[in-house]
Amino acid sequence: MNDTNRFVNRTLLLLIGLVFLAIGAGVVAVFAWPAAADWWSAASTSARAWVDDATRQTLIAGSTLSWGAAGSLAAIALIIVLLIIALARLGGGHTRSLVRTGGQDSPAGRIIIDTSFASDALRASLDHRPEILSSRVSVVNVRRAPMMHLSVTPRQNTSPGEIIDDVDHLLDNLAALTGADIPSYLSIHTGLRSKLARDQRRIA
Amino acid sequence: MSTRTSTSTSTSTSTSTSTSTSTSTSTSTSTSTAFRRIVRRETHSPRSVAMASAVVLAVVALAYVGTEIVLSLFSQPGLLLSPAAAGTWLSGLPDQQPAWAIITVALLLALLGVVFIVLALTPGRLPKHQLTRTGRVVLVDNAVIAAALAQHVSDHTGIARDRVTVGVSGRVVDVVVTPDAGVPVPNERIRELIAAELDVYQLVRPIKTRVRTAQQREGALA
Repeated sequence: MNDTNRFVNRTLLLLIGLVFLAIGAGVVAVFAWPAAADWWSAASTSARAWVDDATRQTLIAGSTLSWGAAGSLAAIALIIVLLIIALARLGGGHTRSLVRTGGQDSPAGRIIIDTSFASDALRASLDHRPEILSSRVSVVNVRRAPMMHLSVTPRQNTSPGEIIDDVDHLLDNLAALTGADIPSYLSIHTGLRSKLARDQRRIA
Repeated sequence: MSTRTSTSTSTSTSTSTSTSTSTSTSTSTSTSTAFRRIVRRETHSPRSVAMASAVVLAVVALAYVGTEIVLSLFSQPGLLLSPAAAGTWLSGLPDQQPAWAIITVALLLALLGVVFIVLALTPGRLPKHQLTRTGRVVLVDNAVIAAALAQHVSDHTGIARDRVTVGVSGRVVDVVVTPDAGVPVPNERIRELIAAELDVYQLVRPIKTRVRTAQQREGALA
């Protein structure tokens, strides 16, 4: 999970989709429907006249540049910048510290427990288990509170019940070790690796 | 089914309070909203790839139009078509040739638009189930549940693992057994085994089980 703003994602998708659909359907209508073609010819003639008129009236004195053209350029640039900001804001939200106390909370001063500490501890324990192929630990900020995400890819045919029990135990131990009960969640995945890896049950 | 849902929700709320008791009671509600947010976000597609593709297409189109306007402002020849020429072409659109090429491109654009609109409005649920076996928030890919169920059925019925195919969707567990010739498939037993194993997992969404027997292939007697 990350901090991607999904409402923005869907709104942009909807808007761009509507624009594409409108242009595409409009062009098809103009070709396929005589009434639409007539309307188009009339509307485009008057629109061109309006644009020409607007350009002439907004001409910057002593040049061939018009404010109209400059304005439309500025509008296009603004939309492009907004779209690129939306692209750049995809993802994110991961944090590097699992625990961060305020300076006054402890006589020792501020305590920061790095995500990699929890990650190394959990993965060292999980790697001993033959049924688990790979694991990943990350910490995301959900509503400004840290939330630990443990993601596990087991061998195929492993019961999720077993994995949940194992991980539950490990997370309890980690909480005892760090003295901080960080809310956490587990996700169990499949993937190419679990399909290709040898099925543990056949050996047993 | 409904009882299972209600018990699982009560377990999840009780855990979220227990996890936050160490910090303070006021955070208990915020922790459970955080978990609800996590589950919602992990089980639904963010639509990031579709959004990025749409935005890149829009940026390229707008950048092209912007470039043509700038070129015309400095009285340079256009890259493909100056704005004035584009205006003339557009006003004569109904008579432009080749009509079939223009219509094809327009149809493709409209189709892409429809795809974007559908992606924007559909929930985009991912093939995952939430489990509340121990009260912890756990999200499991459907394929993991399917493989585990197939293994469980195979272990307890003696049917070879590669003769049991299980598919798990949002609402149905579909078990297909290819039986050995002349050996009846213990449908009821399989149903019980699946129910018992699902009871161990504690799925949040209720799920139905369907057991089917695959048709024996010709010459499969050997």
